[in-house]
Amino acid sequence: MWLVEGGGQMMLLLLLQVGWWFLDGDGSRVPHLVVGVVWTLLTVAYLVVMPIWRYRVHRWESTPTAVYTQSGWLDQERRIAPVSRIQTVDMARGPVAQLLGLATVTVTTASAAGPLRIHGLDLDVARHLVEELTELTVAERGDAT
Amino acid sequence: MSVDPPDPEPPAGPARSTADPAPSAAADLETDWRRLDPRMLLIHPVQEAIRFLPALLGVFLLGRSRNGGAGHWWELLSVAVVIGVGVMRYLTTRFRIRHGQIELRKGLVNRQVIATPEDRVRTVDVTAPPFHRLLGLAKVEIGTAGHTRERLVLDALPLAAARTMREELIHLRSVTADRAGAPHTELPPPTGMPHTELPPPTPDPVAETTLLTLNPAWVRYAPLTMSGLVTALAVFGFTGQFLRSAIEGAYVQDAVRALGGHAWWVSLLVGLASVAVAVSFLAVLGYILQNWHFRLSRHQGGTLHVSRGLLTTRETSIEEKRLRGVEVGEPLGLRLAGGSRLKAITTGLSRREDDRGSAWLVPPAPRSVVAGVARAVVGDDEALTAPLTPHGPAARRRRFLRTLLPAAVLAVGAAAVVWWLGLAWWLLVLPALVILGAPFLARDRYAGLGHHLSSDHLVVRSGSFSRRRDILQRTGIIGWTVQSTWFQRRVGLATLVATTAAGKQRYTAYDLPVAEAVAVAHEVDPALLEQFLAR
Repeated sequence: MWLVEGGGQMMLLLLLQVGWWFLDGDGSRVPHLVVGVVWTLLTVAYLVVMPIWRYRVHRWESTPTAVYTQSGWLDQERRIAPVSRIQTVDMARGPVAQLLGLATVTVTTASAAGPLRIHGLDLDVARHLVEELTELTVAERGDAT
Repeated sequence: MSVDPPDPEPPAGPARSTADPAPSAAADLETDWRRLDPRMLLIHPVQEAIRFLPALLGVFLLGRSRNGGAGHWWELLSVAVVIGVGVMRYLTTRFRIRHGQIELRKGLVNRQVIATPEDRVRTVDVTAPPFHRLLGLAKVEIGTAGHTRERLVLDALPLAAARTMREELIHLRSVTADRAGAPHTELPPPTGMPHTELPPPTPDPVAETTLLTLNPAWVRYAPLTMSGLVTALAVFGFTGQFLRSAIEGAYVQDAVRALGGHAWWVSLLVGLASVAVAVSFLAVLGYILQNWHFRLSRHQGGTLHVSRGLLTTRETSIEEKRLRGVEVGEPLGLRLAGGSRLKAITTGLSRREDDRGSAWLVPPAPRSVVAGVARAVVGDDEALTAPLTPHGPAARRRRFLRTLLPAAVLAVGAAAVVWWLGLAWWLLVLPALVILGAPFLARDRYAGLGHHLSSDHLVVRSGSFSRRRDILQRTGIIGWTVQSTWFQRRVGLATLVATTAAGKQRYTAYDLPVAEAVAVAHEVDPALLEQFLAR
């Protein structure tokens, strides 16, 4: 999924590059070639490295009392939230995710800085997780009354 | 689907009182659909006129440029429209308090009904801008738990009614709890923490202890904060037009010519001095406008009251049970002069700046004063005064690198610009100053880093220009985030963020060793971390 999304971003840069090529008609083609080659190399490297790295870093775990996620690649982040403070559990699927049968689960807490996002979960796993967390959260409320 | 935050009872505590407030207390507040005060009919059109000022001016100018009759009609029509909109706004806004809910209905084209349960009320502000004060009115802004929601604003009620509503909303819970015979419990701490229960508050909401009143001598701290600079910029923005015409006036031209006669450094000094004086003046003005008659008091019912303001008065009530800590702010200027300021960390105030203005507990004032109030509010001496654990040599190196590198880039860039454009050499003084000052800034930034964990609070501190010591209740921490950039990982550092529902929502300890970050999180809530640690 990240490969495709990264590719999407690169498409944009490619368009810019092509645009520049056509717009800058007079000057010699050499700077274009240089930049073009450099850019291609970087893009290929990025598209090869980033998804693999991301995949290695991303982790998640959900226990009856807490949810833990790990994400990022260059800059990494680990988040923990207790189930007792969960407010909403959302599942979202962008167009690329839908094509690939994946989903993103977002868990928000009472803190605006607190949402945990688990990207690229298999759809069944995501559904199961959402159900599980909803049950746990409702159960917490059940203890309340 | 939204799930409300749960309110479970403690494992071995008294049976919880019923969820509904005692009927008699609620009935005092119940009203049917009511309009706001009719005197708003005077204010709303003026507010609309101000809002549509550019459009109105456009119409007027257009009317002038044409000749005669048709222009006047347009002007009259536009004024009538503006007044009409103001009146409609008044007529379509209604509020009601019923069944433990406050509902506000407003809008002509876009109908909106905002409802909020009474027991979600966390803070209540009574604000009175100058027009409102003239007419004896005040706006009531109700802040509720729930960070995404804006505050519910009732604009406006008669001042006495506004104050009464504030008292009743804030004290309703405490009074009700007392009547029902059992205290309302707050959200439980994450599992594993000992639970402290508050004793029932004494039923005497009138009794008040004053914690702080403004000492006018503190105005001297006003120019030392950034607020002066910000105000100055805003003022320059607004009055740009007038400034330009003033500058073109003969008087200023003569003054500039007289200055220009002296050596360049004299002109520079005089220029800087006049800017400094102007900024200071504006800062002092801003301070007085905001903080006149500043008064912080604590009610027996368990709330803190803050009232302040010269032209626009603002009275804020913060429920102490919802207070999760304080932020002790020590911006650079203030720190050098031995002062600081205090802000409350509480739920019910959104992150927006004007809402956060309600969180001030102490304006810029001497450090001892701030410490005294902080002690009274927080009650944890250790959190306030304990020395903070430094973050280690790696963090220091990082601070130096992150300060010196941009400074060097800035200086080199400025030098390049000066050389390229052939400007006067003395302009390089500024970048040189930046380079010279950078090491001191870096050292100060490192000195500002630190954290500490007391029995009740987590203390984090950071920064140099705007240094803040955030004291956050451990029970108020919801979750943790540990972030590390690629550079931080190379040196074994991480940034620890405690997320909370109060205040700025996230309180950060920068650049601490990873093991320590985990240790801090672990100590605050062992059960939470334990299940993930043994990998």
